[in-house]
Amino acid sequence: MSQVAPSAPQIVTPKGLGPGFIPVTIVMTVINIAVMFAVLYLPLNFLLPSESNAASDSAVSIDGLFKFMTVFGVAITVYVSGYTAYFAFVFRRRPGESIYTVGVPIHDAPKLEFWWTLLPTILLVVLMGLTISVWKQIQFPDTAAALTTEVVGHQFNWEFRYPGLNGSLYSPTSEMHLPYGKPVKILVSSADVIHQFWVPEFRLKVSAVPGMVTQLNLTPTRAGRFDISCSEYCGANHSIMQGSLVVESPDAFNKWLAAAKVQVANASGTISLAGGDPGVGKTTFSQKCAACHNAGGTFDQKIVGPGLLHVTDDPAHPKLVDDKPPTPEDIAEILVKGYTGPIGAMPNRQANGLSDSDIANLVAYLVSLK
Amino acid sequence: MDVAAHPIEQHEAHDHIHPAPEGFIAKYVFSIDHKVIAIQYFVTGLLFMLIAGSFAELMRIQLWNPKGTFMEYHTFNQMFTMHGTVMVWLVLIPLVTGSLGNLVMPLQIGARDVAFPWLNMLSFWLIPVSGLILFSTFFVGAPSSGWTEYPPISLEQGPGGPLWCLAIIVVGISSTLTGLNFMVTIFKMRAPGMTWTRMPLFTWATFATALINMFATVALSAALLALFFAQVYNVPFFDPARGGSVILYQHMFWFYSHPAVYIFILPAFGVISEVLPTFARKTIFGYKMIAFSSLAIAILGFAVWAHHMFPGGIAPWLQIPFMIITYLIGIPTGIKIFSWMATIWGGRIQFTTPMLYAMAFIGTFSFGGITGVYLACVPVDLHEHGSYFVVAHFHYVVAGGAVTAFFAGFYYWFPKATGRLLSEKMGKVGFWLFMAGLTGTFLPMHWLGLEGMPRRYASYETFAKAFPDAVFWNRFESVSSFLMVAAIALVAVNIIYSIRSGRRAGNNPWGARTLEWMISSPAPYYNFKKIPIVLDRPYDFTQPLPYRNLDEVTDPYPVPSEAVLPRNAAGMGV
Amino acid sequence: MAVRSVARTTPYLEKVAVEARYNDVDPVYAETRDIRLFGFVLFLLADCVLFGAFVFAYLYLRTAAPTWPPVVDGKQLPRLDVAFGAMNSIVLFGSGVTMHFALESWKHLKKLAFNFWLVATILLGIGFLAGQAHEYMSAQMTWQGSTFGASFFTLTGLHGFHVFAGVCFLTVLGIQANRGVYTGSKYFGLVAGTLYWHFVDVIWVLLFFLFYLW
Repeated sequence: MSQVAPSAPQIVTPKGLGPGFIPVTIVMTVINIAVMFAVLYLPLNFLLPSESNAASDSAVSIDGLFKFMTVFGVAITVYVSGYTAYFAFVFRRRPGESIYTVGVPIHDAPKLEFWWTLLPTILLVVLMGLTISVWKQIQFPDTAAALTTEVVGHQFNWEFRYPGLNGSLYSPTSEMHLPYGKPVKILVSSADVIHQFWVPEFRLKVSAVPGMVTQLNLTPTRAGRFDISCSEYCGANHSIMQGSLVVESPDAFNKWLAAAKVQVANASGTISLAGGDPGVGKTTFSQKCAACHNAGGTFDQKIVGPGLLHVTDDPAHPKLVDDKPPTPEDIAEILVKGYTGPIGAMPNRQANGLSDSDIANLVAYLVSLK
Repeated sequence: MDVAAHPIEQHEAHDHIHPAPEGFIAKYVFSIDHKVIAIQYFVTGLLFMLIAGSFAELMRIQLWNPKGTFMEYHTFNQMFTMHGTVMVWLVLIPLVTGSLGNLVMPLQIGARDVAFPWLNMLSFWLIPVSGLILFSTFFVGAPSSGWTEYPPISLEQGPGGPLWCLAIIVVGISSTLTGLNFMVTIFKMRAPGMTWTRMPLFTWATFATALINMFATVALSAALLALFFAQVYNVPFFDPARGGSVILYQHMFWFYSHPAVYIFILPAFGVISEVLPTFARKTIFGYKMIAFSSLAIAILGFAVWAHHMFPGGIAPWLQIPFMIITYLIGIPTGIKIFSWMATIWGGRIQFTTPMLYAMAFIGTFSFGGITGVYLACVPVDLHEHGSYFVVAHFHYVVAGGAVTAFFAGFYYWFPKATGRLLSEKMGKVGFWLFMAGLTGTFLPMHWLGLEGMPRRYASYETFAKAFPDAVFWNRFESVSSFLMVAAIALVAVNIIYSIRSGRRAGNNPWGARTLEWMISSPAPYYNFKKIPIVLDRPYDFTQPLPYRNLDEVTDPYPVPSEAVLPRNAAGMGV
Repeated sequence: MAVRSVARTTPYLEKVAVEARYNDVDPVYAETRDIRLFGFVLFLLADCVLFGAFVFAYLYLRTAAPTWPPVVDGKQLPRLDVAFGAMNSIVLFGSGVTMHFALESWKHLKKLAFNFWLVATILLGIGFLAGQAHEYMSAQMTWQGSTFGASFFTLTGLHGFHVFAGVCFLTVLGIQANRGVYTGSKYFGLVAGTLYWHFVDVIWVLLFFLFYLW
C-alpha cells in the first residue's frame, strides 16, 4: 500500500438517500405497474400453455395465483436488482480516491428493518391465504365428481380404465377421453415404479405410486387434444412415455365410451385361428416382433426374446403354457396375454397393438417356420 | 477489528506452538493443517466440477435436437444422475464447507487450527475415496435413477446402485465429521475477547452450516443404508407388496436433502457478508439480524422437506404446514438481502472481481429464491414440479447463488491462501462470461418448464410439437452453457498465471477488517504467533488498520479490561 | 501422530482452566478434555439421529400396516418373546451398572476393582450379543419377508453392531489402562467409553419398548 494513512479515515456521507434516488424509484415503480397490467390483462400464452383459453377450472385458479405471485415477484426483483445497480453506480469509488475514504458507518436502522420484515411477512401471509383457498378447491372440491376414471402408469405406457369398461385401454394408441363441463375424479396408481401423470394445460399433476392410489380433481372446460407427460423419472424410456387426452362434449364422450366398451369386450373373446395368412403374418412379424425375436433362429439365438424357428416342434422350446409342447392355441395365448417369467417379459396384445386378425396371421406364420 | 497484541500472561503456558511438519508427505499430502486441507478440498472440488460439468455439456449436446441421437436414453439418464450426484456431494459441499470453511474460519476466530485436526484430514481423504467408489460404477453400469435414486426404479439398476449408496455414505461421513469439527472449534476455540457477537459473519454462517451438516447428514446415511439393504438383500422397506412404502424413502431422503441445500447456501451468504463491507468500505448493516437469520434458516430448513413431495404420496392436509414454513423461510432470507443492500448504500464501492460476484449474487439469488416461492405454493407446484421450472430454480440458487458466492470467496481469499494476487482482468472477463452463461442457460428453462417440458427427458419431441420454440431455446441454452465452461477454464488459467507470476500479496491486500487479514499471506502453519485478544467487533472501517501484521508488534500492552484502546498504540502506522 | 495445540477462548474455557488450577489439575489437559468431551457428545447426538431415522421408518411402516405383527404367506407372525427380551435387557443394563463402577474405581485409583468391573462389563456385553444371536436364530420372521423383520433386524442389528464396537472399544481401553496410558487425573478415554456404553443402553431402552412392549 503506497498511500499513507491519515489520522482517521474520511467518512463520506451521502446527501439524503443518494442523488437521483427518487427518479430511479419512480422509474422502477412505473415499470412494475406496467408489468402488473401486462400480467393481469395480456394473454400469457408464451409462459403458460393455453393461458388465454383455459382448459379446466383448475387452470384458471392456478393461473390466478401464478399471476399474483408474478406481479409481486417481478416487483421485488426489479426493486432489488434496480437499487443494487443504482447503488453500485452512485456509490462507486471515484478514480484516484484514497482507500481510506470510507462509507457512512450505519449498523442498524430499526424502523427500516421493522418495515422490511413486516411488509414481506404480510405479503406472505396474504399469499398463504390465497394458496390455501385455491388448494382447498383443488384437493377437496365442492361438487361431487360426475365421473371417476382410473389411470395406471406402466413402464412405459399409460393404462386407462372407465366405469363399466370390462378391462382397460392399454396400448400405444389408447387415448383417454373426458367430457367437458363435468367434474371428474381421476384415480391414479402404478403397476411398477413411480410415474407422474401431468397435463400441462390443466396445470395439474399427480404421482402414480405403486401400492397407493392418488387422485386428481378437476372440471375440463373446453374441447381439445392434450398430451399426458410422465414427469417422474421411471426408466430408460421415461422421455417417450406420452399419452393422449381428448376432451370433448358429453355426447361425443358417451359415444366414444360405448364404442370402447364394445372393442374391449371383443378383444377378450377367443380368437379364431382359421383363415390366418402366413404371408401377411410375415409382414406383421417384421413390423411388430422382429425387434425382439429372430424368426430364423433356434431358441437360444436370442435378440431380446428367444428365436422362434421350429416353435411348435423344437423340444428346446420350454412348455410355457400348459406344460406340453406348444400348440397354435398356446402361441395365440401368449400373443394375447404376454408373458412374464424367468426367461423375460413380453408385452401383451394391447401393448403390442395386435388385433384378432393380426394374431391369427402371426400364428399361421410361426407355425409355418420349420 | 481492534485487537490487543499480547495475551494475558497466565494463558502463555497453553499457547504453545507445535513443531512444524516435515517432509513432503506430512506437509502437502497427509497434512493436518487446515489451510493445506482447504487447498486439497479446492483442487478436488474443481476437478470434480469439471467432470460433472462435462456430463452436463454432454446432456446439452443431446438436447440440441428434440429427438437427439447423440446418446442412448439410458446413457443420458446416467449422465444426469452422475452430474447431480457429483455436483451436490463432491463439488458443492467440499468447496463451500471443506475449502472456504476450513481456510477461513479458524483464521477468523484466532485459532491455530480446528478442534480435531486429524479428523479434518480424514474428512478430506474420504472425498477422493468416495469419488473412486462413485466412478467405479462406470465400469459396472453407472446408476441412472437421478441423484435422488427413488425406489422402486433405483432397485432395478445392477451393481451401480449399491456402489452409489456406499460412495455417498462415505462422503456423508466426511461431511458429518467436518460439521462436528467446526462446531467444537467455534464453540471452544475462539480467541479471548471474541464473544459470539464479535464473530465475523462468515464464521456465523459456518456455524449454522455445521449444525446442519452434523445432524442432517446422518439421516441421509440411514436412508441410503436402507436403500442399500433393499437393493442388495431385498429387504422390503420400500416394497409395497410386502408392506413397505415407496414414499418412506422420499421422507428419509429429503429430510437430509433439503437441509443440504442450506449447507450450500449458508456459507455463500457468509461470504457475501464478508466481501460487501470490505469493498464498500463500510460496516455490515444489521449484523445481529444477519447472524440470527442464518440460525433461523438452518433450523427452519429441517421442517420443510416434504415440499419436494407435493404432487403425490403424502396426505393432502400435510401439504399446508410444509407450504407455510417454506414461505416463512423467505423472511430471514429477505432480511439478509435487504441488509446487504443497505450495506452497499452509502459506501465507496471498489469493483474488484470478488465484489462483482457478490453484487451479482444479490440479483441472481433473489431471483432464484423468488422462483422457490412459486414452487412452495402447492397449487402452482402441481404444475411446475418435475418440469424444467424446478431445474431453472435450483440452478439459479445453486449456480447463481452458491457457486457465484463461492467464486467471490475464492477471489477474495486466494491471496490469503497463497500469498499471490489473481489477475483482475482475467477475473472480470471470467465473471462476465459466467454471468452471461448462467443467464443464457438457465433463464429460458423457466418458460420451457411452465409450457410443459418435463425434466430428466432425453428427448423432448412431443413437447416440441406442442411448443415449437422449444428447439430454439434448448439450442440457446446449449450454446450458453459453454460460456460457463469458458469461465471456469479461465479460473484455472488465472490460478496457474497467479502462482507463476502473480503479484505478491501483503497480509491485507483488500484493506479488510477481520482477524485473518492481520497475519501474513500465506499464513504460517501456526497461524498466530500469539493468540490475539479481541476488543471490538469486525468490519469497523472508521478506524485505521491497527497493525500491518500482528506478529510484528512487540511493545507491551496494558491489560485490556482496563484499557480504552488507543489507536496506533505502538506508534505503528499502517 | 499429531501433537495437539490448544488455543483459548473466553469465558467458558477460561473458567475451565481456573477451576482446573483450583483443583490442582493440569489446566492444559482440562481444556483438551473439555474440547474432546464436547466433540464426543456431539458425535453421540449424531448417532442418535441415525437411530432416529430408522425409528421413524419403523413407526411409519408400523402405523401404515393393517395388522401388527403383519401376516406373511397367510400366517400371522407371532409377537416377540417379552420375557427373553427383558432378560437380555437386564444383562445389558447390568453391564451399564458395572461400567459405572469401573469408572468410579478408576477415579479412586483402585486398579484391581477397575479391571474386575471392566471385564464384567465386557462379558455382560458379550452375553447380550449372545442373547441377540439366540433371538435372531429363533425368530419367526425374516429380514426379507415382512416390514416387521426388516425394521426389527435392521434396528437391532444396528444396535448390536454398536454394542460389538463398544465391546471392542472397552477392550482397547482396558489394555491401554493397564499399560499406563491413563493416570488418576488423565483418563478421558475411559470417560468416553463409559458415555458410549450408557448411550448404547439408552438406545436399547427405546428399542425394547418399540419392539417388545408396544
